[in-house]
Amino acid sequence: MYKFNLQVILGYLDLLPFAVGMTLLISVQTIVLSLILGMAGALCRLSDNLLLRFLAAAYVELFRNIPVLVLIYIVFFGMAQIGLRVSNYYSGLIALTLNATAYMTEIFRGGLIVIPRGQYLAGQSQGMTQLQLFRHVILPQVVRIVYTPIGNQFIAIVIGSSLSAVIGVEEVANWMFSVGNDTFRYMESFLVAGLVYVAMAQTINFCRIILGRLLMRAPGSR
Amino acid sequence: MTTSLIDFWPVLLRGVATTLWISWLGLILGGVLGAIIGMAAGSRSRVLRASAFVYTELFRSIPPLILFFGCFYGISFGFKVDLSPFTSATIALALEASAFMAGVVSAGIGSVGRGQWEAAQASGMKFWQIMRYVIGPQALRVMLPPTVGVYIGTLKDSSLASVIGFVELTKAGLLVREASGASFQVFLVVGVLYFIINYSISLGGAALERKFHIAK
Repeated sequence: MYKFNLQVILGYLDLLPFAVGMTLLISVQTIVLSLILGMAGALCRLSDNLLLRFLAAAYVELFRNIPVLVLIYIVFFGMAQIGLRVSNYYSGLIALTLNATAYMTEIFRGGLIVIPRGQYLAGQSQGMTQLQLFRHVILPQVVRIVYTPIGNQFIAIVIGSSLSAVIGVEEVANWMFSVGNDTFRYMESFLVAGLVYVAMAQTINFCRIILGRLLMRAPGSR
Repeated sequence: MTTSLIDFWPVLLRGVATTLWISWLGLILGGVLGAIIGMAAGSRSRVLRASAFVYTELFRSIPPLILFFGCFYGISFGFKVDLSPFTSATIALALEASAFMAGVVSAGIGSVGRGQWEAAQASGMKFWQIMRYVIGPQALRVMLPPTVGVYIGTLKDSSLASVIGFVELTKAGLLVREASGASFQVFLVVGVLYFIINYSISLGGAALERKFHIAK
């Protein structure tokens, strides 16, 4: 009978903080890039230019429907073949960002689309520049709408970053694979890694709820 | 290089069939499991509600890759049972889908007004009768669009079965890559195949929505 034994993998636990750091690094970079690109994508989807609208819509449909794992293989193996050698970390980052941008675009589009057209006209009639209008009128409202779905997308990105393990980025899932292969304690390494991911996801969830209560009150209810 | 790729079409097409089959299996099993958990999430018992909450949160926060690993190596070594990659992948996909289907089911049941429960109970219907004749037909309409989303998610997650050596579309792509050396073309084809499958499913879902007149 298999004896459950965490003792064996204790020696590998001091490698875990580095792995967690790697997961957080690739996740945070993906989050920052996909927030910027997603906002740009959403503006394209709602632009007056037909070509921009079509390109952004095509991008979203394409990258939402291809598994991230396949994207990672395309960037890592495929690009190398046509002469563009991308390191494993950047392959993971590019693939994750391509995928997350598609989702962020849809989230921001959902936020922008509910702002009535009259507000743009009202802002313009006050002599606001496009940037001022966006910064002081549109964005504060959009942030409230997209707040919860973006929080969920952050979790999806952290969870999705585990896929970069298959091309050897040394993050938590990779830690799990190597500990399992070294010690044959697959069950234990699975439980530890699972726990780490649950902790990370629930921390984001918790911060989202607390921050939301502090910052997202409707104006005038304070 | 590209010409030799045509010889590998049967492998890729087999991969497509396997991917469709295992993700369908995962969705059905996950749907059954998810329905039970979704009903528990809407029950009056606090213990049932809490366990349903913990279950969904747990399986939503564990990466699918980790789940596949746990279901294959973890169970094989932990319980000394010989699980085939197919069985492990099906279990992992079903667990993953069940957490999402639980949310879909409980939202579907919640969308039917509380008054209908009371009316059905008052006319002497049993729990299963109410579910079958009153709540179910109305909830199913609400559940259709998000279920299509879960199916697409499950299909994309099935690509992870390649990691435990189950030959579906992604693994077929990896094998063809090794045999032909044409990485870029192979994975581009695999990506396009996934896109065609998933996009057809979402178009099919939209057509069903129109057929049943489901308002967005």
